Amino acid sequence: LFLKKIEKAKPLKCGTFGATSLQQRYFATGDFGGNLNIWNLEAPEIPVYSVKGHKEIINSIDGVGGLGIGEGAPEIVTGSRDGTVKVWDPRQKDTPVANMEPVQGESKRDCWTVAFGNAYNQEERVVCAGYDNGDIKLFDLKTMSLRWETNIKNGVCSVEFDRKDVNMNKLVATSLEGKFHVFDMRTQHPTKGFASVSEKAQKSTIWQVRHLPQNRDIFMTSGGAGSLHLWKYEYPAQRSKKDSEGAEMGVAGSVSLLQNVTLSTQPISSLDWSPDKKGLCVCGAFDQTVRVLIVTKLNKV
Amino acid sequence: GTTKTYQIPIGHLDYKFIEKCTDVKHLEKILRVLRSGEEGCYPELTLFCEKRIEHLDPRSRALRKDKPAATASDFTAEEWKTINGELMSWVTEMNEDEKKPQFLRTDTLHERQDNLPPIRCSSSCLPANQNKKLQNKQRNKKNIPRDYSEWDKFDVEKECSKIDEGCEENNSKARFFSRPSLPIIEKKIDTTGMTMKEKVFIATREKEKGNEAFAVGDYVEAVSYYTRSISVIPTAAAYNNKAQAEIKLQDWDSALQDCEKVLDMEPGNIKALMRRATVHNQLQNYQAAIEDLNKVLCVEPENAIAKKNLLEIEKKLKGLMPVSETQGKGKRILIQDIEDSEGDEERGENTEERGGSKAEDRETQKQKESTESGLKKGTSQKKTQKHLSDHEGAGSAGGGSSASLPPTAAKLKCEGNELFKSGQFGEAVLKYSEAIEYVMGLGEQSPDDLSVLYSNRAACYLKEGNCSDCIQDCNRALELQPFSLKPLLRRAMANESMERYRQAYIDYKTVLQIDSSIQAANDSANRITKTLIDQDGPSWREKLPPIPVVPVAAQLHRWDGGNFTSDSKPRCEKAEEKFKTLKNEGNEFVKKGKYEEAVNKYSECMKLNTEECTIYTNRALCYLKLYKYEEAKQDCDHVLQIEDSNIKAFYRRALAYKGLQNYQASVDDFNRVLLIDPNVLEAKKELEEVTQLLNLHSSAVAGSQQKQRKKITIQEVTESDEQEERQFVTSEDVVTDHVTSKEAVQNSVPLKTSEKLRISEPSNAYDFGQIINAVNTSKDKAACADLLTITDPKKLPVLLSNKLEGEIFLIFVQSLEYYVVGKDPGLVYQHLFYLSKAERFKVVLALLSKNEKEQVQQLFDLLSETQNNQYSLEDLESLKKVYEL
Repeated sequence: LFLKKIEKAKPLKCGTFGATSLQQRYFATGDFGGNLNIWNLEAPEIPVYSVKGHKEIINSIDGVGGLGIGEGAPEIVTGSRDGTVKVWDPRQKDTPVANMEPVQGESKRDCWTVAFGNAYNQEERVVCAGYDNGDIKLFDLKTMSLRWETNIKNGVCSVEFDRKDVNMNKLVATSLEGKFHVFDMRTQHPTKGFASVSEKAQKSTIWQVRHLPQNRDIFMTSGGAGSLHLWKYEYPAQRSKKDSEGAEMGVAGSVSLLQNVTLSTQPISSLDWSPDKKGLCVCGAFDQTVRVLIVTKLNKV
Repeated sequence: GTTKTYQIPIGHLDYKFIEKCTDVKHLEKILRVLRSGEEGCYPELTLFCEKRIEHLDPRSRALRKDKPAATASDFTAEEWKTINGELMSWVTEMNEDEKKPQFLRTDTLHERQDNLPPIRCSSSCLPANQNKKLQNKQRNKKNIPRDYSEWDKFDVEKECSKIDEGCEENNSKARFFSRPSLPIIEKKIDTTGMTMKEKVFIATREKEKGNEAFAVGDYVEAVSYYTRSISVIPTAAAYNNKAQAEIKLQDWDSALQDCEKVLDMEPGNIKALMRRATVHNQLQNYQAAIEDLNKVLCVEPENAIAKKNLLEIEKKLKGLMPVSETQGKGKRILIQDIEDSEGDEERGENTEERGGSKAEDRETQKQKESTESGLKKGTSQKKTQKHLSDHEGAGSAGGGSSASLPPTAAKLKCEGNELFKSGQFGEAVLKYSEAIEYVMGLGEQSPDDLSVLYSNRAACYLKEGNCSDCIQDCNRALELQPFSLKPLLRRAMANESMERYRQAYIDYKTVLQIDSSIQAANDSANRITKTLIDQDGPSWREKLPPIPVVPVAAQLHRWDGGNFTSDSKPRCEKAEEKFKTLKNEGNEFVKKGKYEEAVNKYSECMKLNTEECTIYTNRALCYLKLYKYEEAKQDCDHVLQIEDSNIKAFYRRALAYKGLQNYQASVDDFNRVLLIDPNVLEAKKELEEVTQLLNLHSSAVAGSQQKQRKKITIQEVTESDEQEERQFVTSEDVVTDHVTSKEAVQNSVPLKTSEKLRISEPSNAYDFGQIINAVNTSKDKAACADLLTITDPKKLPVLLSNKLEGEIFLIFVQSLEYYVVGKDPGLVYQHLFYLSKAERFKVVLALLSKNEKEQVQQLFDLLSETQNNQYSLEDLESLKKVYEL
């Protein structure tokens, strides 16, 4: 059942409902021209909010504070090829509420992915961004500081917190060469940062990772070879331990593959779960097909 | 030669090599070569290699295969139907929601916007590189002078919040690396302006977050999320989960509160009951814990955890008794009130006299409850188990004499049996295991004995609720000794509790082939038949595995086998079972207050077993209730001959003596009760009373004329019928006594009522209710009149609470009419007036019959005849209207 088709001048790259209320359901998009637009899909002729946020394509977008997920103000984060990550509040026109950009003189990297997290009360909030050179940066929006950074050697295609609205628990970052990393975000060691476990899913790029909205320890990755992998994270017996100097450091758990399917010969670039129906998911692939799948027996995992 | 890729020697592509190779990496390479087909296509070998890798490393990546998405054909029709059905129902649900007017874009939205936190301070720039961070920060902090256009946009509030944030920034920086240990999670969610749908969504989400946190062990966090969920929509599930998290945090009080909230919402919630039992157990309210667990077992008689916990708690309670019998609630109930405590009583007594049969008692008690709730399934299940534990006794008796067992093993087995009898199943398992190991070490010379050991261990597992181990042991026992009865029965029961009805059915049927007289097996087989028919429809038999045919030899073998000492055993067992059933029926009747019938049942019991003291004490109780004091005394005497320190027998004989007016003997018996257990409050009270009676009795002889008169009337009353009683109370001076001296009231009331109806001024609705019930059952209008005399009419509605019933109403009216109206019509008016204010008054009034209405009319007539300054005729008329006369 095809409901409606809306065409816009600039090709769209990414979109989110994350910062809109359950009642409004405004759709925020980032396009190839670097514009951030928010659309009322009931009246899509002109955007309700529009800003030329970046100089180049907006690769990634995420929202928080809407849909009943995340405490605090509704905010949208965009990551662009121009190397900047900007946080927007739909109530403030034209300027971002936070701007994370490389210092002048530094080479700017292509930001491929952004994600919100840690929004468990009105003050706390972090943004995680992944770059083409394998950098992962964690910005703390409360303290307006760079909280942590690491490099996973290959371009970071997708990052996601298992939950945006809890005290940072886990972060999954997927990479260009088919690996993904799961970071335990509960315990940050002063020098070593967060503990992580990595797993090679397939021989091709992992384009996206999405956590099951009904169980944060189950997530699906979508791969370049047109396959989907369903994973489960298992916590270690002790999530943190003391190092020789007495500082707390995290202990990573393990990841196990629950199921995998191959749907297409082309990469599956995009993936999401239904918030209402457990196991229902949708994915879009380069073969111009949108597929709807149902994952059964998730209760028994 | 070697392969093209990886350069593996061709010789490695061989069954023998692969079978022996333990290097997973190498095997993976071989597999890749085989799969690629560059050295030729060997599907069998490839499969073999895969299996080998799977054996060595089930999680090897090489085993991952690309699979296409499952389609309808990959599922059984049934599975596909459920999947499809669920999806369809979800779609319809969603469609319905869509149609509802959801887009309430009225002012609610603005309201919400107002609640939102302020916009983050704008244009804060964040360096993306750590090394330049400090420098950059300093730049940020500098106050750059604004230009005019910026001043135009200046927003005071925003700037204020910026400053606030700045402060926070500093604070948080200070603790940045030491990470706040506990995150601050708001306990409440602001839901103003949210639609119901949103609230449901958020409540569910918060609950799920709680569940996730719980799963990881972050109980504090879990509690906060559950609290948040509850703040949006209070649900039983959220409270229940919260209680569980609080139990983990050992926050017993909160857990108790939450359990109670759940039970308010869903009175039969099993989980909440289980959890409350745990909390009660921790708070050392063992009696309450036992009650909760019994409730659970009432609904789910198979609940293994509940059974286990119950056993443990009872053990604790038992262990505690000698130490803290003081205010021991349980102890007090023990004698206080028969209706409620029959179960406890039995438990106590049986453990004393039967030593090991504690588990059995528990089951008896359970059985009673399940019978009550009409759960036939539970009942017969219990019977089966009981039957089995009887077997066990027999088995252990036989086991001791089993000569073929080496002495060490025999000793271990005996110890195991002892432990089993005392209910320490875990330890018993250890003993049996040791014995098994020992026998195994000697080589398999004695399959029979080994089989018995396995079978006994299986019994322990069954008791512990460890059904799978039980089945395993039964299997072993049956391998060693096919068609032996006990392991078959145990396996059947274990299977049944695991809801593997088919297997259970087969086993029961096999048992019946061996011995068709085992009632328990018969019952169970029938019961399972029903379940299977429900489950599989009329063709259920087709789905059954074949029932093994028992060779005739095995049928004979059963009695030759060393486990059973004699042929007569089953008959004994049957008698015992019948005895128990009768006893339970008796107990049932007691509960219902049908003492006559209960006496009959107990008497039948005695024909079967004259040794069991419980029956006698129970029958004595019934006799007491029936005022047959002499018989009660005899029963108690009998018990005391067998057991010279049976506290209950003493207590009841004391009551019987009291009834027989043998106060001295009564006092003696009460003293003995208190000697055995100085904390039986009832005995203390009774003793005081009887001592008073005794004093009265003796002093009366030498006492004044008035007192003597009183005494005589009293004696009359004890054996009197109602008429005499009425005469007695109408005699002026006694009533005056009531009113004038309170002490006199308290003394004379119990005398008059011959039973232990002591009427003191009720302090609360509960007391009042108790007295009313007592009065009502004995139809003792005089006592009721006394009660009403000393009760402040104004308190009547409060005291009656919602307990006003037709019977109570009538006895009020009657006693007012017969006893009080002549004496104090003002008081009668007051009572009638306040009675009409009581809850349920209208209902009761509406249900009165014609006759009964006439009685009320009579009372009013009497009132209007006897004038009083406390009410006028008009008052009376208006009250009459209230009474619909």
